[in-house]
Amino acid sequence: MMSTFLKQFLIFDPLSLFFLFVIFIISLPSAVYSFGYLKGEYTPAKITLAWFLLFAFVLSMALVVTVSNVFIFLVFWEIMSLVSYFLVVFDTRHEKSIQAGMIYIVMTHIGTAFLIAAFLVMYKYANSFDFFAIKNACQAMPLQTKNIVFLLLLIGFGTKAGIVPLHIWLPYAHPQAPSHISSVMSGVMIKTAIYGIIRFVIVMLGVNSSWWGILILVLAVISCLVGVIYALMEHDIKRLLAYHSVENIGIILLGVGLAMFFIRMNMPYLAVFSLMAGLYHLINHAIFKGLLFLCAGSVYKATGTRDIEKLGGLIKKMPQTSAYFLLGAMAISALPPLNGFVSEWLTLQAFFLGAFNVTGGAKLFFGICASLLALTSGLAAACFVKAFGITFLGQPRSHYAKDAKEVTLSMKAGMFFLSVLIIIFGLAAVKIMKLLAKVAGGAIGLDTGAMSFSINNFILSPQAGKDIYLSTPLLLLMLILLGAAGFCIYMLFGRKRVVIYRTWDCGYYKLDSRNEYTATAFSKPFRIAFSFFLMPYRRTQKIRESFYHIKSFTYETHTTLVFKKYIYDPAIALVFRLAGSMKRIQPGSIHLYLGYIFITLLLLIIFMRQF
Amino acid sequence: MRELILFGVLATTYLMVIAKRMPALIRGFRYQSFFLFLITLVAGYTEKQINLYFIALLILVLKVFIIPHVLNLIAKKISVEENLGLFVNAQLSLIVALALTYCSRVFSETLGFGMDYRLAAITVAFSVIFIGAFLMISRMKAFAQVTGLLVMENGIFLFASFVSGGMPFFVEIAVFLDVFVSVIIMGLFIYRVNKLFTHIDVNKLSRLKG
Repeated sequence: MMSTFLKQFLIFDPLSLFFLFVIFIISLPSAVYSFGYLKGEYTPAKITLAWFLLFAFVLSMALVVTVSNVFIFLVFWEIMSLVSYFLVVFDTRHEKSIQAGMIYIVMTHIGTAFLIAAFLVMYKYANSFDFFAIKNACQAMPLQTKNIVFLLLLIGFGTKAGIVPLHIWLPYAHPQAPSHISSVMSGVMIKTAIYGIIRFVIVMLGVNSSWWGILILVLAVISCLVGVIYALMEHDIKRLLAYHSVENIGIILLGVGLAMFFIRMNMPYLAVFSLMAGLYHLINHAIFKGLLFLCAGSVYKATGTRDIEKLGGLIKKMPQTSAYFLLGAMAISALPPLNGFVSEWLTLQAFFLGAFNVTGGAKLFFGICASLLALTSGLAAACFVKAFGITFLGQPRSHYAKDAKEVTLSMKAGMFFLSVLIIIFGLAAVKIMKLLAKVAGGAIGLDTGAMSFSINNFILSPQAGKDIYLSTPLLLLMLILLGAAGFCIYMLFGRKRVVIYRTWDCGYYKLDSRNEYTATAFSKPFRIAFSFFLMPYRRTQKIRESFYHIKSFTYETHTTLVFKKYIYDPAIALVFRLAGSMKRIQPGSIHLYLGYIFITLLLLIIFMRQF
Repeated sequence: MRELILFGVLATTYLMVIAKRMPALIRGFRYQSFFLFLITLVAGYTEKQINLYFIALLILVLKVFIIPHVLNLIAKKISVEENLGLFVNAQLSLIVALALTYCSRVFSETLGFGMDYRLAAITVAFSVIFIGAFLMISRMKAFAQVTGLLVMENGIFLFASFVSGGMPFFVEIAVFLDVFVSVIIMGLFIYRVNKLFTHIDVNKLSRLKG
């Protein structure tokens, strides 16, 4: 009974197994971490609730990626959304949590509405909710319908994934959840949307138009840039990380979009390669974003604030957390030989390979995408210089940071586990790529064993004869050698010139933490460079005692949230206006209500006469 | 004979539509109930059923005497202005009532009960229901709402008795009891509302809206 049920409704192909692996590899350290994190932060009853919700959350995600029936998929999808909503509003002390939860649940339900529409169209053609039946029926679907279904799926899953401009909920919801949940939400939950896109669009629907891939590529590039630019402007450490999730989802979707384009262009080899790059970045992002959120949670637990302008000097108080954060920051900034470097490099290679193999405008388009991806990586690095430098280096900027203490063992264990994974996924890149190529080949429907993949331990050459080489162990060796050489040179020649003296301060002799470089100052060049998009504005207020003496002077600088101001605010205003006009038919008069019933009755009778 | 009584029911309903004051409305209801009593009596005579005699007696006691009496009592007790407060004036109300009667006629034809006296009966029944609803809508005072509901109930009784030859006996009894209790309760409510707000103008209740 049970086994037939399992056979009927569950699917364990490489794609599902890959996502299951990602879910558990991130959930496990988060669960361990939460032992220490929850203690002292919440009451025992709430801690029990948090455990229950965490298990429900992980279970629902695991089932989302393994069921083989659209209807059941939708059920677990909804359970996942609801449980994560409860986790977002878990901190009921803060009013912000309620607001964040509101934005989240509205957005996620809009997404689900689109998904339901897409699934119903699929059902209409297949007369079944089963994945395989739908896959077969999709081949007979007219192109026009396919296009509509694709757009519905893209909006539906895009809302969950946080593609710009549907990303609006991410920077609110992720920071408000408890940190171990943020790590699971940002690391894994938004990836289930990528699973949905791969499963429903690539596997089931089949790619039939080249504009699908191009649309996803354009959206992905925009997501990358917008995510990282907003992250640069952000001073709330968890919100900064949430914006980086938008960016990284963009990078993952670059791989997926490229794969779709290549499938359409009939280049299965390149499609497998691109999808492999996307999946590799997916698991990498899960790992380092998970780690970074855990580190941010440790900082929050130790200091009680998430505002990096109030932190500083934590490297001395929390050396281990700092080390983990630095490692995560290096990985997300795509520094070799860590895992983020491998997958971004692969994505770039996919673009180059694509540019070699296509003609005309697509060449240019790929070139532009690749350069924008490179720009994104650079900006991400700048952002993490800011995040790490302001949070951990320098002197404490407030008493919050001054009184910080290193976190407990269970929290460190969770972070340690993920740090090890970062290094493993960087150094063992070649082995992992082979596995992921199998997953990607399975999704696209190709046997990768038959392809001329020649990967050995030191050289990855996707096409025999083409010169693309990557070996992270060699890179590590090179870096170590270079570092050692630099260190030797420094030891031999450089030492004598060092003079220990206090910082030169124009003879003021009273430098304290308030003279330190701030995050706002650090991000100012970027604010100016991207002012066409960020539209920064400032507010100043002077209070004068007399003309010559200014008693106080406040200065604030803000950036305009373009998508909120020009898309969401008008939309919300429209909804309220419509609701307001609907209110007019409900004036509270009993007579009118009775009249409505009466008129409806009469109209129904007249309507019935037609039959 | 039947047609004549049915005409009486319809005429008394029109009488209620043009009533401007509470006593007139209650009187109209009393007459209507009396005609209902007559029709049940005739039905009992022709079909030779003792049940129907009993129901007719109940109608006579409850709807002709007790309920109008209770309503009158409340009207006197709350001693507010006797005007019903017409949203739609008497003449226009009559026109609307006629239109509703026409609608019922058309609707009864659609239902397809043949062309004999039953068609007339169904038409009258529907008219009474519609006009009862119309009374509830177009009069300001809570009193009219109570009476409108009772009128609708009369219409439903009429409809049931002609479509299915009357409802089962016990259902009929239960409905009578319900109607009686509801009159008591609504009367109490009106009394309370009047005490609290010093008026029973339903129109002003819209101020309670948030």
